[in-house]
Amino acid sequence: MLKATLRSFLAHKGRLVLSALAVVLSVAFVSGSLIFSDTVTRTFDRLFASTSADVTVGPKDDDLGGQMPSGAVDTVPASLAERVAKVDGVADTHVDAAVENITVVDRDNESVGPTTGAPTIATNWYLTDRSPVELTSGHPPKGPGQALLDADTAKKKDVAIGDTLTVLAAPGSFKVKIVGIATFTTTNPGAALVFLDTPTAQSRLLGDPDAATGISVTADPGVGDARLKERIAAALGPGTYEYQTADEQADSAAASLGGFLDVIKYVMLGFAGIATLVGVFLIVNTFSMLIAQRTRELGLLRALGADRRQVRRSVLAEAALLGLVGSTLGLAAGIGLAFGLIELMGAFGMNLKSTEMAVGVGTPIAAYVVGLGVTFVAAYLPARRAATVSPMAALTDAEIAGAGRPLRTRALVGGVVGAAGAAALVGCALSSDTGSAASLLGLGVVLTLIATVIAGPLLVRPVIRVLGGAFPALFGSVGRMSQRNALRNPRRTGATAAALMVGLALVAGMSVASASMTKSFDNEIDKTLGADFVVQNQNFLPFPQEVTDKVRDTEGAGLVVRQRFAPVAVRLPDGKRVETTAAAYDPRLDEVANVTYAEGDSAAALTDGALGMDVNFAREHDVTLGDTVPVRFPGGKDAELKVAALTDQDTADGFGMQGGLFFGTGTVERYVPDGQDSALYVNAASGVGADELRANLERTLDAYPQVQVRDQADYKELVRGQIAVLLYLVYALLGLAIVIAVLGVVNTLALSVVERTREIGLLRAIGLGRRQLRRMIRLESVVIAVFGAVLGLALGLVWGVCVQQVLALQGMKALAIPWGTVVAVVIGSAVVGVVAALLPALRASRMNVLAAIAHE
Amino acid sequence: MSTAAAEHSLGRAEADGVAARARGLTKAYGSGETAVLALDSVDVDITRGRFTAVMGPSGSGKSTLMHCLAGLDTVSAGQVWLGDTEITALKDRELTRLRRDRIGFMFQSFNLIPTLNAAENITLPMDIAGRKPDEKWLDQVIDTLGLRNRLRHRPSQLSGGQQQRVACARALASRPELIFADEPTGNLDSRAGLEVLGFLREAVDQLGQTVVMVTHDPGAAAHSDLVLYLADGRIVDRMEHPTAEAVLERMRLFSGSGAQPSALDPRATTDGVGAPADARTTGPTDLDKD
Repeated sequence: MLKATLRSFLAHKGRLVLSALAVVLSVAFVSGSLIFSDTVTRTFDRLFASTSADVTVGPKDDDLGGQMPSGAVDTVPASLAERVAKVDGVADTHVDAAVENITVVDRDNESVGPTTGAPTIATNWYLTDRSPVELTSGHPPKGPGQALLDADTAKKKDVAIGDTLTVLAAPGSFKVKIVGIATFTTTNPGAALVFLDTPTAQSRLLGDPDAATGISVTADPGVGDARLKERIAAALGPGTYEYQTADEQADSAAASLGGFLDVIKYVMLGFAGIATLVGVFLIVNTFSMLIAQRTRELGLLRALGADRRQVRRSVLAEAALLGLVGSTLGLAAGIGLAFGLIELMGAFGMNLKSTEMAVGVGTPIAAYVVGLGVTFVAAYLPARRAATVSPMAALTDAEIAGAGRPLRTRALVGGVVGAAGAAALVGCALSSDTGSAASLLGLGVVLTLIATVIAGPLLVRPVIRVLGGAFPALFGSVGRMSQRNALRNPRRTGATAAALMVGLALVAGMSVASASMTKSFDNEIDKTLGADFVVQNQNFLPFPQEVTDKVRDTEGAGLVVRQRFAPVAVRLPDGKRVETTAAAYDPRLDEVANVTYAEGDSAAALTDGALGMDVNFAREHDVTLGDTVPVRFPGGKDAELKVAALTDQDTADGFGMQGGLFFGTGTVERYVPDGQDSALYVNAASGVGADELRANLERTLDAYPQVQVRDQADYKELVRGQIAVLLYLVYALLGLAIVIAVLGVVNTLALSVVERTREIGLLRAIGLGRRQLRRMIRLESVVIAVFGAVLGLALGLVWGVCVQQVLALQGMKALAIPWGTVVAVVIGSAVVGVVAALLPALRASRMNVLAAIAHE
Repeated sequence: MSTAAAEHSLGRAEADGVAARARGLTKAYGSGETAVLALDSVDVDITRGRFTAVMGPSGSGKSTLMHCLAGLDTVSAGQVWLGDTEITALKDRELTRLRRDRIGFMFQSFNLIPTLNAAENITLPMDIAGRKPDEKWLDQVIDTLGLRNRLRHRPSQLSGGQQQRVACARALASRPELIFADEPTGNLDSRAGLEVLGFLREAVDQLGQTVVMVTHDPGAAAHSDLVLYLADGRIVDRMEHPTAEAVLERMRLFSGSGAQPSALDPRATTDGVGAPADARTTGPTDLDKD
C-alpha cells in the first residue's frame, strides 16, 4: 500500500506543485518571522546585556501610561553620583544626561535624524568598556560648542568633521561643531546619536547644570549587581529613585524596543495566518480533484481487497508527503525571507548581522507542525471521501465523485453558523457599550466568515447565474459553456472563490472602517477647528519653547493658543482610576476652536484649578459639574481639580485621550513645569491675509523642520495619513492573499482542464478554435474570481458597517462606503481571473486534438 | 445481395462528384529506422452522396485515414482535398474552421458536451461559428432522428443510443460536405446500434449527405454503399453494395492467421449462404474486437 501511495504521489507531482507552493508560502512566513524575531531579540539582548551598567539609578517611574508625551524630561540630581560613589562596592559612577526625540539640523536646516521614526538621541560622552560606540576619528567633545556624531548618520547625511550642526533642544537651540565621529561597535538600532561633553549636555539639553537623567554605576570586582543595588537603595532611600541591575535594565530596554519588534512579528505572523488559511482551501481543492479523478483507481484498489482505512491512509500519507516536502522547502524559504528582512532592516539603518541569524529549536518544529498540520487537516475530508468509494466504481464509468452530492449538510451547518454570526453582528450594531460591541463584532466576523465558506457552494448557482447571465448573449456558446463549467462543481468553485473571498472581505471591511474614520475626522475638523493655522509636528510630538516664541514673534501672527499634553491619572467618584492624556489650552480657546458644551464653558474650564471633561465620560463615572477630583501628574504631583465644564463633542475620545480631559495652561505649567507645547493654533492679526501669514510662518519655521504649518485642509491630510498607515498594512495582507488565491484559481483551472481533456478534444474536433477555447477558460476563471470578490465584498461591507457602529460609540459617527474601492476590487478580481487563466488556457489550447479525444 | 445493393441506390441523388480525395497519403509515426507507417501512400476518392465504410483489423490504419481526411491529424506526405480545398496545406486555424463549417463528426463515445443540453449540443458548431442554424433543416433532422422531446435533456439524462442520435443530429445540423463517423456503434447494444446505422443510411438516402464510417463490425459495414478494406496502411480491396456475409468473408481473407477461428464459426457457414438482405445486421460482431 505504501508503494502504491509513493507511486501515486510521484505520478501526480505535477498537479501537487501548486498545493506544495501554498504550503511553502505558509511555512516560509511562519519560520521567516520566527527566525527574524529570534535574530533581532538575540542581537538586542546581547547589545543591552553588554552595554548596561552594573547598576543604574534613575528617576522614579510614576506608572503614568499616557500616550501623548508632555515633552518634560524626568531627572535626578547629578550630585547623587557622589553619594553613590561612597557606597561600599562601587568602583565607578557616571552621570548620564540623555534626551531622546530631539531635532538636530544641518546648515540647510534639514534634520540629520532618521526619517524612519527612530529617535535622534543627544547624550553626554564618556567611554567605558560597556560603551556601544568608539571614537574612530577626531577627538572627544570639549566645551559647549563641540559634538560627536555617529558614523552611520554622518555617512548618510554627508556630515564631516568641522561641519556645524544646530541642536534644537528644549531649553533652546545651540550650534555645535562636529569634532569627531563615533562608530558603533555593536548593532546600531537605527537611531542617530549626538554626543556632547557632560556639562554641556546637562545645561543645554536638560536646562540644569546639576541635573542628570540617571547615574550609571560600575561595581567592584566580586560584588554582585543585586547586592550592590540593595546597598545603593539603602543609602539613597528605597522608594526615592528607580534602581536597576544590568539584567533589569537590559530587560526593560528590550521591552521598550520589543513593542516595535512585536509589531513586525505579529504582522509577519498575520501574513503567515492568511497564507495558511488560504492555503488550506487550495489543498482541499487539489485533493478533492485528485480523488475525483482517481475514483476508478481507488475503486480498483477496493475491489482488490484494500479496506476503507487503507484507502484513507493512503491519501493521508500522500498529504503527509506533500506536507513534508512543502515544510522543508518552506523552512528554507523562511531562512531566505528572514535574510531579506534583516537586509531590509539594514536599509532602514538597523544594522543586524545576517551572519548571526538565530534559528531556534522552535522554528523547525513550528515549520513542520504548520506544514504537516495544514496539509493533513486540508486532506482529511477528501481522504474520508476517498474511503467511501465503492469497489463498483472500478467497474462502472462513474460520474466524478462529489460533483452531484447534495449540499444539505452544508446548507444546515452554514445556515446555523451564519444565523449565529448575523445575530452577533446585529447585537454589535445595537450595543451601546464599546467593549461588548467589539467582542460581538469579532465573534460575528469569525462566524459569518465560517458560514460563508461552508455555504459558499450553495451560493455558486444563484450568484453565478446572475454574474454569468449575460455570457451566453455576449459570447455565444463559448460564454454559455464557461458559465456552466463554473456551475459544474459548486464545491470546487466555492472553495476556489473562498480563497479570494477571505482576503477581499478583510480589505472591504477595513476600507469601510478607515473611510468612515476619515470622514468622521474630516467632519470633526470642519466643525471644531477655527484657527487659521496649526503649527505641529507630524507625529504630534512636542517641540521646544523657542518655536512658540518665534511663532508669536512672526509678523502678521495674531492670537496664538498653545496646546500641551500631560499624562495624568484621575480618581473618579465611582472609585475607578483612569490613566489617560489630558490636554491643556490657553484661555482664548474659543477663538481657535468651536467646542460644544453640555454644561459650563471654555472660560470656566481653563481657569486655574479647574477641569473640563467629556459629558458621557462624566456620566459614566458619576461626575457632576462642581465635583472636585484628585488628579495625579508625572513625578507623583497631586492636584485637586474642580470639574467646571462638560463638553459634548463627537470625537471626545481617540488617540488615547479617554475622557477628553482638559484644563488651562496655567494648571499644566504648575504641575508639569518642563512640559513642551504640542501644537500652536494661530490666527492672523487683523488686516493680514491668510496667505501672507502662511508665508511668514513658513519662513519662521524653516529652521525647525520638525514642525509644519497646516491649514484646515492640510490638517485633514495629516489625520488621513495617520489612518492610511493602517490601510497600507491591510493592502499588503491583501496582496499576499490575492497571490495565493490566484494560485488557487490556477490550480483549479489546471486540474479542471486535465479532467475535461476529452471534452476539450471533442470541442476542438468539431471546430472550436484555439482562441475560443482560451476565451472559454478565461471566462470561467473570471466568473469564479468575480464570484469570490462579490462574496468577499458583501461580507466585508457588512463587517465594515458593523465596525463603524463600534466606532460610532467612540464618536466617529459618519459612515462612508468607499465605492471607488469596491468597484476597483470587482474590476481587479476580473483581472485576477484573466491572469489566473493564462497558463491553464494555454495548456488547453495546446492539447493535441486526437490525443485528447482518445484520453481516458 | 445485388437486390439489397440496388435498394440502397434507390431514391438517392446520383453520385455527383468527389467529396474528399487523397493522393499518396502517407502517415508515419516515429522517425528513422523505428518509423512505423500507419498509412502507406493511400489514394482514395470519397464519392459525394454515398455512404462509405472503412474496414480493417486493428492497426490497419483505418482510424488514421479518417483523421487525416477530416483534418484532425497531420500527414507525413501526400495531399488531401475536401471538395476543392487542399487541407494538407492548411494551418490549424483554417483546419479548425474547416472542421467546424464543412465536416460533421461522430465518435464512438463521449460525443456530447455534458454541460449543454441536446439542442445546444446539436447547434454547437454553428453557435461556435456564430451562424444561425437553418431552422427548417434543423427541424427535419431532429424529427428524422426522433429527438423532438429530448431537446432539453442534458447528456447524462439520455441513454447511450439517444446520445449517439444527438451526435448524429449535430453532425447533420450544419449540412456538412462530409460526415465522419468513428465506430459510431461501438459502445451501443445491437438494437441502438441498428437505429444509429439506420439514421446514417437515411442521412445519405433522404437528406443527400456524404458519410464515411470507420468500423470493424461487418454488420455495420453492410449498411454502406462501399466498403474499403485497409491492411498495413494500404487499401487492399473495395466492395460495392456489401452484405454482412460478403464483408465477413472478405475480412477472413485479409485478417491472416487471426481469422482461423471464425472460419470454423458455424453461423458464418450456415447463415452465410442465401440469407435475406436484412440478415446482414445480425452478422457476428466479435470478429475483429480488439
